Amino acid sequence: MTTKRIISAVLGIIAGLLVAVVFFADFNKAGENAAGDIKSKAEKVYVPYGELDEYYMMSSGGHSGQLFVYGIPSMRKIRTVPIFTPDPATGYGYSKETKEMLGGFTWGDFHHPAISETAGDYDGEFLFANDVGNNRVAAVDLSTFTTVDIMSLPNMGGPHAGVFVTENTEYIALPTRFARPLDNKYADLDKYEEEYKGVVSMTTFDKETKKFDLAYQIVLPPWSYDLSDAGKKMSGDWIVMTTYNSEFATTNLEINASQNDRDYIVLVNWKKLEEEVAAGNYHDVNGAKMIDPRDHKGAIYAVPVAKSPHGVDVTPDGTRYIAAGKLAPMMTVFSFEQTFEAIEKEDFTDEKYGIPVLSYESVMEREVDPPGALGPLHTQFDDKGNAYNTMFISSEIVKWHIETGEVIDRTPSYYSPGHSAAAEGDTVSPDGKWLVSLNKISKDNFLSVGPSHPESMDLIDISGEKMEHIMAVPVDPEPHYAQIVHRDKINTITVYEKDENRENSVWKQEDARVERKGDEVHVYGIAMRSRFIFDAQSDRPDAVTVKEGDRVFFHLTNIDLDQDITHGFGINEYDLNFEVQPGQTSTLEFVADKAGVYPIYCTNFCSALHQEMSGYLLVEPK
Amino acid sequence: MKKNLSNASVISLITAAIITVSTLFVPWWGMKFYAPQYPEGLDIIVYPSTLAGDIDIVNSLNHYIGMALFSNESFPELQWMPYIVLAFVVLILIVALLRRKSFLYGLIALFVIGGIIGIWDMYRWLKEFGTNLDPMAPIELEPFIPPIIGENTIANFVTHSYFSFGGYLLVLVFILLVFPLWKDRAK
Ligand SMILES: [Cu+2]
Repeated sequence: MTTKRIISAVLGIIAGLLVAVVFFADFNKAGENAAGDIKSKAEKVYVPYGELDEYYMMSSGGHSGQLFVYGIPSMRKIRTVPIFTPDPATGYGYSKETKEMLGGFTWGDFHHPAISETAGDYDGEFLFANDVGNNRVAAVDLSTFTTVDIMSLPNMGGPHAGVFVTENTEYIALPTRFARPLDNKYADLDKYEEEYKGVVSMTTFDKETKKFDLAYQIVLPPWSYDLSDAGKKMSGDWIVMTTYNSEFATTNLEINASQNDRDYIVLVNWKKLEEEVAAGNYHDVNGAKMIDPRDHKGAIYAVPVAKSPHGVDVTPDGTRYIAAGKLAPMMTVFSFEQTFEAIEKEDFTDEKYGIPVLSYESVMEREVDPPGALGPLHTQFDDKGNAYNTMFISSEIVKWHIETGEVIDRTPSYYSPGHSAAAEGDTVSPDGKWLVSLNKISKDNFLSVGPSHPESMDLIDISGEKMEHIMAVPVDPEPHYAQIVHRDKINTITVYEKDENRENSVWKQEDARVERKGDEVHVYGIAMRSRFIFDAQSDRPDAVTVKEGDRVFFHLTNIDLDQDITHGFGINEYDLNFEVQPGQTSTLEFVADKAGVYPIYCTNFCSALHQEMSGYLLVEPK
Repeated sequence: MKKNLSNASVISLITAAIITVSTLFVPWWGMKFYAPQYPEGLDIIVYPSTLAGDIDIVNSLNHYIGMALFSNESFPELQWMPYIVLAFVVLILIVALLRRKSFLYGLIALFVIGGIIGIWDMYRWLKEFGTNLDPMAPIELEPFIPPIIGENTIANFVTHSYFSFGGYLLVLVFILLVFPLWKDRAK
């Protein structure tokens, strides 16, 4: 019967399909899941047009001497802020004030940013920067993202272990990396142990005048102070620093400073030193109030730690300090409570260079040594009691629980992380959302730009139990540390306030004028859309005539009090360019040492007629 | 003099001689190191007369753990190894010319002894490099002996050691040397 045949044929085909499905269908859908993974990762970092990133990441620019500002989670670079390095785009280092601030230096080596804190939490007002290259500290005003003060520090040898701030930004501290004789004196390297000193600069910053002051300096044995942190809450009076080179090696440090099994964490009670300095117990050294904490009982202690430690970080609750071993691959958790107890009981094993050494066993709470994890450098924290360590050599981030030491998760980084930064990770209340691994190597992750690859940063989602690596982005050389601050804490201004009493400022067109004082020519000018007015009385208000050899001052006020209307000011062949932001007055000072005619033009695109915004500097020959 | 090797055996021996010469131009043994920062791996490739691969990079990494430098100078074998190989080729050709089975036994014995000495020598070097670490090194490591073949983990590096073309060709040479014994076995 035909029907039967058809039915059996249909059944046969169905059976065949069923077998095929059972045997060959991929029920794992592994491919689809991977694609879904990528999609969800992309969604996590996608900030749609019209919306803004949740966090600012303030990333040190290393030897570029700049601050790199990123948005998190998009990882978009938002701004480069020049701190220790001139920047023609903004006129930083060309205008009179910024030139003076840079003090003749053209670079700095910025390692560790520190956002100002109130009660141990970022207050988002200022950011401090250290310069390892030239012994300076700088402040960036986070209302304008511009550098407002730079102070040179005497008696220092590269303040690598800074900057970090105490709980209420009472001090911005900078311990030195290289020991050096005090007061710029000469001393032979054979006299290293006696003549060379480590120094910690305790600087203060006045938020009103926006000026630094060097409160006092702490003199220490000639160890190398590597990294440091300030205590919080119960440990708020203390600072902790790691040191290496307890061997006092003076050459081939990589070998010779790695011989002792133990180096030290140095604990200093800054509150006590502050009192002693106030009582006049200091020596004047090269203009600095120098205090030796060894002269004051209870001011300094040392804790033995596995050799060549790198980072030391205080937990958000201030109860513990964690050292990362670098060459002894583990993290050591020390308890402040046990430390204070040991100090109370004078539980000292030793004394090194007049510093009481606490017993390691008494103050150590636990050692955390994840198998195969090598080269721990720095610790960051989340909101759930976990610590995150970068492992330089094994190139990974390890998540572990502070209370138990249990290793919870490990994720590779691409490659070789130095520091990492967690969202609000240095505060008393970390957010536990994002971690950025700041890597030293990117290998072939990005389009090749020749032999020197960019450095790289990995964005890691730390909101779950397991870390999730989201993406890697390239970065200019070379970020060391970064801080991630919530956008709500940053309050920027849109224009500079119109201050009619401001020195050298001109607000009305008819007030623009040129004044001659001997061989000094002062131009009190205006920049506005879209012309310059240097001399309102002149037939050509946008031309200035001076004599060869005159010292010329262009005091320029941008009277466009309108958001994002910045004007530039470049002079042809005079190697000069600076900018004036809306409502700002800046001064450019130079000697007109070349006779001739030099066009002036607005360098920062300001309006449809930006191209017409120009003038002339006429320099009459002698 | 009784010539007791067949023509086929002589051809086998001559082929063995040619292949032995060719081993001078290919690597015999190698090691590959993988680490998180080196996902593509770093190579040490050993030719009978020279070292090749990422020797300088490996040396610069090894110095952290105080391992001695790898270089052609640190292995005197590499200077006279080609002569040994060529001398052996000459011996094969002599045996092929004389067609004496008893000489062939000697040749095979020499080959086996040479091979054993070679492998012992490699082990000696691996032990020497892995256990004789500079006590001044910045990173302290337990002494270790990398295997001649196989995988090993040292710090963050996973190493794979393996025989390469030259090694395999020498096995082929051995087979070609033994072949006449089978071909011209007493019937
Ligand atoms: Cu303009």
